[in-house]
Amino acid sequence: MKFELDAINIEEGVRTSALARRVIGAAPPEVAVSYVADGRQAARPIEGAADAFGAGKRRMVIMRRRAPFLMACPAGSSEFACCGYLVLTLASNCPMDCGYCFLQEYLADNPGFQVYANYADAFDELERLRRTAPARQLRVGTGELADSLAFDSLTGISRDLVEYFAGRDDLTLELKTKTDEIENLLAIDPKGRTLVSWTLSPERVYRSTEHRTAAPAARLEAARRVLAAGYRVAFHLDPIIGYAGAERDYLDLIEQLFAAIAPEQIAFVSMGGLRMTPALRAAARRRFPDDPMLVGEEVLGPDGRYRTFTPLRLKLYKALGDRIRQSNAKMQTYLCMESASVHQQVFGEAASRPTVLGARLAGD
Amino acid sequence: MGATEIEMKALDDRIGRWATERHLPDAHLRRWLVLADDDRSALLELAETLRLRTGQFVAAFELIDEIALRERAADAPVEVTITTILARREIRRILDGTGSAPGRARELIETLRAIRFPRLKRAADRLAAEIAALGLPGGVKVILPKELSSDEVRIEILAHGGTDLARLIDAVAQARVGLGRIADLVGGADSIDDEI
Repeated sequence: MKFELDAINIEEGVRTSALARRVIGAAPPEVAVSYVADGRQAARPIEGAADAFGAGKRRMVIMRRRAPFLMACPAGSSEFACCGYLVLTLASNCPMDCGYCFLQEYLADNPGFQVYANYADAFDELERLRRTAPARQLRVGTGELADSLAFDSLTGISRDLVEYFAGRDDLTLELKTKTDEIENLLAIDPKGRTLVSWTLSPERVYRSTEHRTAAPAARLEAARRVLAAGYRVAFHLDPIIGYAGAERDYLDLIEQLFAAIAPEQIAFVSMGGLRMTPALRAAARRRFPDDPMLVGEEVLGPDGRYRTFTPLRLKLYKALGDRIRQSNAKMQTYLCMESASVHQQVFGEAASRPTVLGARLAGD
Repeated sequence: MGATEIEMKALDDRIGRWATERHLPDAHLRRWLVLADDDRSALLELAETLRLRTGQFVAAFELIDEIALRERAADAPVEVTITTILARREIRRILDGTGSAPGRARELIETLRAIRFPRLKRAADRLAAEIAALGLPGGVKVILPKELSSDEVRIEILAHGGTDLARLIDAVAQARVGLGRIADLVGGADSIDDEI
């Protein structure tokens, strides 16, 4: 798939970086390239733009990251049963435009699509982490504030990442995506240390809400190809949207998944219900006023987020969880941003501690 | 300016006056003024008849807008607009009713919410019926989370003296199976399938 850019802004300080050279070499000639003193300014919203967030997606800013690359998953919280995910922020924003995406709120003040030229510094941070946590299996992903593979044909970052992780038995890289942009991956042997995961949604959600993403069938085909190339694969049913007919559609989706990839070849499946803060919901409704997926039966929950009302949400989780376990009782399945009590209700057992679950998902 | 244009100008002037008097935020007024003639007029009738407060108007407007979007997406057999929603029997009954305006305004919001959240309404009604069927004494309350927004079920016992407390605890113990079922329903038990 190909994404469109209006402009590329390159911070002066990284003008000669390998990333800047690769992007300039691969970008279509009609995309204007300019140089800026401070990428942070270039990433700010365009004043007067009708949709500054949407415009930011079309403006790539190659710059130096000033903050650490590595952090605990920002979705983690003591109120949720977490999966021990660690996040590497190598980019910020995404050329795709899902109506429910939390970045609409999270990046409202700096929507420019930032890609960090000094991303190799992240490897130093990982080395320091390894020294402080010897013998621990860690799962590290790049798909939290950006899609892990969108624009990989321009940036080529996945090659360096996969090669770095291929040499470390205690680290697992998770590349999370809604694209089918896998060509770079197919040329490298991950040595079992990289897992590629796809967010999957039923066709109705994809058509209504997941703008400019690869179609669900294309995502499954891409998964099949990376699996054949030696990668592990996983899937995220997240967000699960509780529209009328959702249970049937999500169960059909699981059938399609298992028809494409044998259950025993799937590393894990996560589930998470649609969740939106009031500010996110307002931003999403403003940007996509005609999307019915954004006006389901969500109510304001104790954590300050709109979610599908509890009996319906948990019923969906149970139906999908049961189907997954029927296919492979040993498959790792977990819930994202749900409480320990919800985990207990859905799976009939207590949630594992984040470090334990994290190690299991990493393949320990 | 033709007769219809003059009427529409008069309508918009009335909407503007209502918005000014009620300090309606500009964003909502703008959304109101870009609606079709019939819809603008129907909303004004609603606001004036029920003497809606600003917050009530904003809530009603949003609920109606979302009902229309949901029903259009569900391939409603007839065109769904603000006017057609407000012409429904359950809404007309409130608009044409004789109770106090504030009471009818509250009833309007509740009715619109029931239309906007149909499965939530059915689940809540089902749970209320299950709780009533337990026949618990007055000192025992089963408290469900607001709008079924969590899986938490609370049992509140309000007793006066030890004898009263023992009686109420016994009542709760006798209702144990039924209470467990209610907690399971809140937690998405399969048996609530048909309702949601």
